[in-house]
Amino acid sequence: MKQATRRRIGHALSYAVLLGAAFVSLFPLFWTLSTSIKTRNDTFVLPPKFFNFEATWKNYIAIFDTRGFGQIYLNTVVITLASTVLCVLISTLAAYSLARSPRFRSRRPLEISMILVRAIPAIVIMVPLFTITSKLGVYDNHFALILMYAAVNVPFATWLMTSFVEQVPVTLEQSAAVDGAGRLQILWHVVLPLILPGMAATTIFVALLAWNEFLIPVMLAGNSAKTLPVFISGFISARNLDWGPMAAASSLAILPIAILTVLAQRWLISGLSSGAIKG
Amino acid sequence: MKPKGSIERQMARLAEALVVPSWVLILAVFALPILGALWLSFRNETLGAFAPPKFIGFENYTTTLADPRFWESIRTTIWLTVLGLLVQMPIGIGLAVILEKNLRGTQVFRTILIIPMLLTPVAVGLMWRFMFDTDLGVINWALAGLGLDGPNWLGARWPAIWAVVIVDSWQSIPFIMLIVLAGLAGLPKGPAEAATIDGANAFQVFFYITLPALGPVILVTLMIRIIDSLKMFDIIFIVTTKGGPGTATQTLGMLIYNTGFGFFQTSRAAALGILMVLMVLPVYWLWRRAAERA
Repeated sequence: MKQATRRRIGHALSYAVLLGAAFVSLFPLFWTLSTSIKTRNDTFVLPPKFFNFEATWKNYIAIFDTRGFGQIYLNTVVITLASTVLCVLISTLAAYSLARSPRFRSRRPLEISMILVRAIPAIVIMVPLFTITSKLGVYDNHFALILMYAAVNVPFATWLMTSFVEQVPVTLEQSAAVDGAGRLQILWHVVLPLILPGMAATTIFVALLAWNEFLIPVMLAGNSAKTLPVFISGFISARNLDWGPMAAASSLAILPIAILTVLAQRWLISGLSSGAIKG
Repeated sequence: MKPKGSIERQMARLAEALVVPSWVLILAVFALPILGALWLSFRNETLGAFAPPKFIGFENYTTTLADPRFWESIRTTIWLTVLGLLVQMPIGIGLAVILEKNLRGTQVFRTILIIPMLLTPVAVGLMWRFMFDTDLGVINWALAGLGLDGPNWLGARWPAIWAVVIVDSWQSIPFIMLIVLAGLAGLPKGPAEAATIDGANAFQVFFYITLPALGPVILVTLMIRIIDSLKMFDIIFIVTTKGGPGTATQTLGMLIYNTGFGFFQTSRAAALGILMVLMVLPVYWLWRRAAERA
């Protein structure tokens, strides 16, 4: 009896904490979305209006009317997709090597380099990269940005993919080899189909990181390759902060992610758990 | 049948070929710029200078080490890291322990709780920025409702530091929670159950059995969080407008940005970058040590 009561109190406390945490997690999201459809008057008012306001699309229209916004959104989508494909391909090849070949000459140096890439703050390389890209004439260049985006995410994607390749039984490959299949054939016909779910999870992650990337484009993109996070950051230099359009721009960055999270949560969580420890 | 050694050698050759693209990217985007930073740090390159740049030896380093702003930025970085860890680690571990109980609805809660870590940091920063507004922000309104006088969050040093810590924590706690959750799933259930039967309560089980067993996982998480705190950039850029008020939240990373891209002192910024790498390396070493034991 006493133990049952104690357990019930324990559960009630757990739910209270979870509900509190869920509220704190979601409130800023809710607040941004609701601010994005408020009129200026409803935005700057106390007590704040949580539900009792009239919805308007004016803020979104203002954002879409901003000169160059279509180009900015397009840039973000293109750079995200291209760099993600590139990064996942390169990382899968490296992951196959790391998972299947215990000893090849550049294994140890590669592992160390990847960890260093993860550990060294990217701001350090931005100053020389700015000088280098300017000298090479590829400042504000989509292709250069795609390469850099892919590079910063290669270590994380490689660790994630290595753990997925390791889950494929080696015996499958060995029997294919006995049947006379070449190494690349095995990789293509035996390994690839089995790691596709892992590749999908990795793709989602890398795409998220690329979509959110700010440091690289804020320093190395000008007007023609500008991305959404850079556009959003531009609001802070405006003298009178206009919260409505600001919230609308933020929502345009955040909404695709929130939807993706709910749709792909199973993959996200398994991927996060296996890749997180290392990277 | 072929001898085993030849297959292994064949495999090693293939492996070597498959990592070539990774090497190319890493060398081009990291190794080359780091060498570039080293080279720049011994020169006096500034954008828009009239005199042609030349080598000046260690001058950038000696000037930096004598500059109080450099030491202030290091103190700020350390404060943000320490306060962040003190907030994030207990909450992240606590939430993981609660989720591990697998109560009804855990799936839904887990999905909701990881959302913050996935959102665009720049947008997140902006969201919080208007919640932190002194007069019209929803946070100070809620504090007033509790009878508290909310600070001018972004107008003074310590409130601004706490604002950054809060936003950073909001985004990083889910990460800690997930790693610890994965660690908890890997623990044997036996010891905890035996202790419960022997009459230990939930807190005793947690502090004497679960926590020590999680030690290695927590250590790795700690190291990753330290490394990421040192890298923190986007949130400070937005929430406190690149390290404000004044230089109150200017971390070392932000100082590099402001030096290189605000004042266009390329070489000075490069020297700061090299110093930052030297500071990160010991953490990196500890992290690897911890990871090998986890």
